[in-house]
Amino acid sequence: MPLTLAGAGVPQIIKHIGGKDELQRFLASLGFIAGSQVTVISEYNGNVIVNVKESRVAISKSMACRIIV
Amino acid sequence: MSVKIALAGNPNSGKTTLFNALTGSNQFVGNWPGVTVEKKEGKLKGHKEVVITDLPGIYSLSPYTLEEVVARNYLIQERPDAILNIVDGTNLERNLYLTTQLLELGIPMVIAVNMMDVVNKNGDSIQIKQLAEKLGCPILEISALKATGIKEAAQAALQAATQVSACKVHNFSTQVEEALSAITNRLPQEINENQKRFYAIKLFERDEKILQGNMSAAAFEDIIAKVEKELDDDSESIITNERYIYIGEMIKGCYKKHSKGNLSTSDRIDRIVTNRWLALPIFALVMFLVYYVSVTTIGSYATEWANEGVFGEGWELFGATIPGIPVVVGDFLASINCADWLQGLILDGIIGGVGAVLGFVPQMLVLFIFLAFLEACGYMARVAFIMDRIFRRFGLSGKSFIPMLIGSGCSVPGIMASRTIESDRDRKMTIITTSFIPCGAKLPVIALIAGALFGGASWVAPSAYFLGIIAVIISGIILKKTKMFVGDAVPFVMELPAYHMPTVSNVLRSMWERGWSFIKKAGTIILLSAIFIWFTSNFGFVDGSFGMVEDLSDGFLATIGNAVAWIFAPLGWGNWKTAVATIMGLVAKENVVNTFGVLFGFAEVAEDGSEIWDTLAASFTQVSAYSFLVFNLLCAPCFAAIGAIKREMNNTKWTWFAIGYQTIFAYAVSFCVYQIGAVITGELVFGIGTVIAILVVIGFLFLLLRSNTKAPNSKVSVSIPG
Repeated sequence: MPLTLAGAGVPQIIKHIGGKDELQRFLASLGFIAGSQVTVISEYNGNVIVNVKESRVAISKSMACRIIV
Repeated sequence: MSVKIALAGNPNSGKTTLFNALTGSNQFVGNWPGVTVEKKEGKLKGHKEVVITDLPGIYSLSPYTLEEVVARNYLIQERPDAILNIVDGTNLERNLYLTTQLLELGIPMVIAVNMMDVVNKNGDSIQIKQLAEKLGCPILEISALKATGIKEAAQAALQAATQVSACKVHNFSTQVEEALSAITNRLPQEINENQKRFYAIKLFERDEKILQGNMSAAAFEDIIAKVEKELDDDSESIITNERYIYIGEMIKGCYKKHSKGNLSTSDRIDRIVTNRWLALPIFALVMFLVYYVSVTTIGSYATEWANEGVFGEGWELFGATIPGIPVVVGDFLASINCADWLQGLILDGIIGGVGAVLGFVPQMLVLFIFLAFLEACGYMARVAFIMDRIFRRFGLSGKSFIPMLIGSGCSVPGIMASRTIESDRDRKMTIITTSFIPCGAKLPVIALIAGALFGGASWVAPSAYFLGIIAVIISGIILKKTKMFVGDAVPFVMELPAYHMPTVSNVLRSMWERGWSFIKKAGTIILLSAIFIWFTSNFGFVDGSFGMVEDLSDGFLATIGNAVAWIFAPLGWGNWKTAVATIMGLVAKENVVNTFGVLFGFAEVAEDGSEIWDTLAASFTQVSAYSFLVFNLLCAPCFAAIGAIKREMNNTKWTWFAIGYQTIFAYAVSFCVYQIGAVITGELVFGIGTVIAILVVIGFLFLLLRSNTKAPNSKVSVSIPG
């Protein structure tokens, strides 16, 4: 399911990341790669704040939809 | 011989704090990614020959935003003698991702693990020695904030700089290594032996931006494609994944995390301030308080004292009356029988004008304390996140909000902060709209109008701020519907730093620095402007002969002002003084107050506090004053900000477009405010002006509501990697 539906507080494993190459590369440098664990902290109208590798990252809905967990 | 040491690391890992500690400089440290957008140089304390460069933070050597390009170009092209890599100990794994890439550059490197105090406090542990062995690179523990271990780190970097890179570079899987050595063999001769591995990896990743001259990933396509087929993944993902696997294995033995699952304080705060119902009201309340307190309450007491006491009649201190500066200087000048014209210049021109501006310094300082606090505690990044949802509807990303928040201090760094925005289109739009948010220099104008015309009503100052936001939103919609800017905003991805209590010294330092630059400006540009205004307004041709004029409206400035005043007449303030004030505002926005100070003779009428602003108030009505305020807030910014626009746009045509758009937009809005507002208050009767104003409003509505222009290639990319 997309990250937007993952629900707060439950650790999830990323299965796949879509979107443009540049954005994928940027997400990878932030720690978002297939296989890494993420936890949604809060959700605001589809925009999410997630915990990944000890840091907090805000992701807008359009991108969060393309991260499949 | 000078030694160059570069500070490199992830955004918000403490590079600038360390830079300040090492060089004794006073760069502001904010708490969001992207505080430093331009590299900064300083000399190491006690070592004149050592130059330390503070680079913008980067997550990897594949730049995503403009300021990351600055950092990468410096590292590759200028090749510092050593890199001091700052690693945030609380976020080890992610930070090491960059470290592994930096090691490949073949530059001697020392790693400084920062925030060790926080790591220890959390009950986590990092085995520094083991990690250093595995990475093959010296590692030191530091706390940049508490300035512990920083001397040793600088010493280690200095020592490393004298050596050839001794750091070992980790190996990828066999297939990848074979491909890399095949690429290395085919690299052109002129590439430095040390840099070959870096270029080979970048070429393997098909990094388009690294390619120079005749190097092209296409030439290596056979090698790359072979590995991709073998490993069933694209080359970039192969490298990324292998890096993370390597890091994961490396830190297994040397990093222990204590607690897991518990919500941190930052997470708990985020639950509230980014809550779907509370987020916006909290933000509105925060901004209201900032402007209310700094303009209407604390700031206004202080400003009253400054305006009416120091630059007025005098004030009381412990029962003793201390005369104001104009009184003291006036008495002195009279006692030495100073020439009348010189007395006029000094009292009405310099003290009246510069004093009027300086009188607002207390209010500015209060505003700057608030802004520095907001920037340093970590709330800014959350506001970007909250505003993203709203801004996205208007075609801007939440990232555009950070330049605007910084712009509420000064538009120049605000416009520069637009570099953190990835998409060129969004960046241009942000540059055009950033100066709509009232900057610190516009604060005296707001405070003057609020005080003189609205009796200090509490809504005036915050309304100026919200007017700025509305102007940004309306412009966003209008511009997004033109061909130039059509297309969706780039998805918003931003790291949110942990909240922390800003240090008092950082907040005060930021306040003082911004405040001091205003005071300096008052002593230079504003002073010269005041002298210019005084001379041009007091001299002119009367009855065919040149000389000092009795009535200012016979002076040169009045002639010039009258020549352009008709332009502003439809806005309700078509007299020469206001026209001149607006034009002088282009030099610096405080000049609006400065001009009024000279032309309305603030220094002279300062007999009774309440009378100071009366002459000014007489030439406005509330509606025309608000229209004046609107125009001056939204029109072309000061020359310094126009310069920043030109630098960031890097294109003359776009610069003129930005200035033209701002000015026309400001004119149209003020026109509607005055023409429609005045009919409502009964100041004007319904007439041709009202009709035109209504047409302008309809025009705005048309621009806002018309359907989107279709972009020629507005496809949404949902490419799936192989």
